[in-house]
Amino acid sequence: MRNLFLFLREHYYYFLFLFLETISLILFFNYNEFQGSALYSVSNAVSGSVNNMFSSISEYFSLRKTNRVLVEEMAKLHSRIPEAFYITDRNVFYKKDSVVNLEYKYISAKVISNSTNKRNNFLMINKGSIHGIVNHMGVIIGNKIVGQVVSVSPHFSWIMSMLNKDSRISGKFKKNDQLVNVEWNGGNYRKGHVREIPKHIRMVAGDTIITSGNSDIFPEGLLIGTISDFRIAQDENFNNGEILFSTDFNSLGYVEVVVDLMRREKEDLKSSFKSTQ
Amino acid sequence: MTSRTVFFNIVRFVFLVSFQALILNHVNLGGYINPYLYIYFILLLPFDTPKWLLLLLAFLLGWSIDIFTNTIGLNAASTVLMAFARPFVIRAISSGPESLIGDTPSLRNQGIKWFLYYSIILILLHHFALFYLEIFRFTEFPATFVRMLLSAAFTLLLVLIAEYLRYKKP
Repeated sequence: MRNLFLFLREHYYYFLFLFLETISLILFFNYNEFQGSALYSVSNAVSGSVNNMFSSISEYFSLRKTNRVLVEEMAKLHSRIPEAFYITDRNVFYKKDSVVNLEYKYISAKVISNSTNKRNNFLMINKGSIHGIVNHMGVIIGNKIVGQVVSVSPHFSWIMSMLNKDSRISGKFKKNDQLVNVEWNGGNYRKGHVREIPKHIRMVAGDTIITSGNSDIFPEGLLIGTISDFRIAQDENFNNGEILFSTDFNSLGYVEVVVDLMRREKEDLKSSFKSTQ
Repeated sequence: MTSRTVFFNIVRFVFLVSFQALILNHVNLGGYINPYLYIYFILLLPFDTPKWLLLLLAFLLGWSIDIFTNTIGLNAASTVLMAFARPFVIRAISSGPESLIGDTPSLRNQGIKWFLYYSIILILLHHFALFYLEIFRFTEFPATFVRMLLSAAFTLLLVLIAEYLRYKKP
């Protein structure tokens, strides 16, 4: 026993190193479990309030741009309210309320931290569970995609950006509805990769890719980007392409979180089907 | 170690963590080159820092940065690895007793050659661990390597500028 203590004392430096390194790596690789812990909510509250303070200073620098985006958005919405339409038909049709149900609701939030220079990028926004945000909700800016919520605290949410190795978005060609997958392989934050384009699709540079609506995260028809380059594979079943993102991930001021009001119903349907099998 | 040294190191710790979290983390030259100046704290610890304290401080430093980037464990693991290597690096590159003049490693006391060896080896070790742990994939090896080298060069440049600023005043 005494020899053991002497041995430990002599080599304590190595043991302490291994101990600290193991803790760090365990926390790093089990990050998802760690997010539920009390220590996490404390550190999240600290970084959240500091980031919040910092962004309340830096947001003044982008006021001009934020204004322009808001005015554009307002003009677009104005053109869609009923008063903007002139009814040419003398036969009046009524919409029954029960026929049109609200499916998506949007929560606006301010981005308080963001990055585009890492392999895995995340954003933090200043709204959280008390505003009704839960995990797996989509995040958009205007009609363009940003990412999805991966963790929420009462006042803040942590969002996995499209610029992340775990992000994979189900998209489709706007012109013919063919499904593809969009990913980001690191490097330039303006460009992503389009995978699994069926061979028979004829692509041209400039084709628009929109969200497919298959994934419960984003509604259908949001802009992902345009094809900027593609490669016809000789020996594989699918072609690959390069996409220029419509979203400028480096200048996100205010974003919107998509609340799918019918998500519960969709999930219930899926689980009830599974339980019958 | 005097209380003066302890005080200066605490101030340096707080300053470097805030500088990294509030400013440097938002810098990205050419899209994805990011400097990590916070490890300058480890480079500047006194020669006679107890080894256990060296490791614990590295862990604390990495953890503080991780809180701000929400990558719990990533910076801590890389910084602890770098601090662990520090005594070995110092022993390997110091040939005579004259190379350990002064309390802390510095450009002025140890000379440009010694200081460059010292900081380049430790910065590369830290950045290597940081970048490859983050992607944890070997398919992107070459692209990550370029990113790592460029970021390391940027960090080294900032360390050298900081060293010159430290001795500008008499």
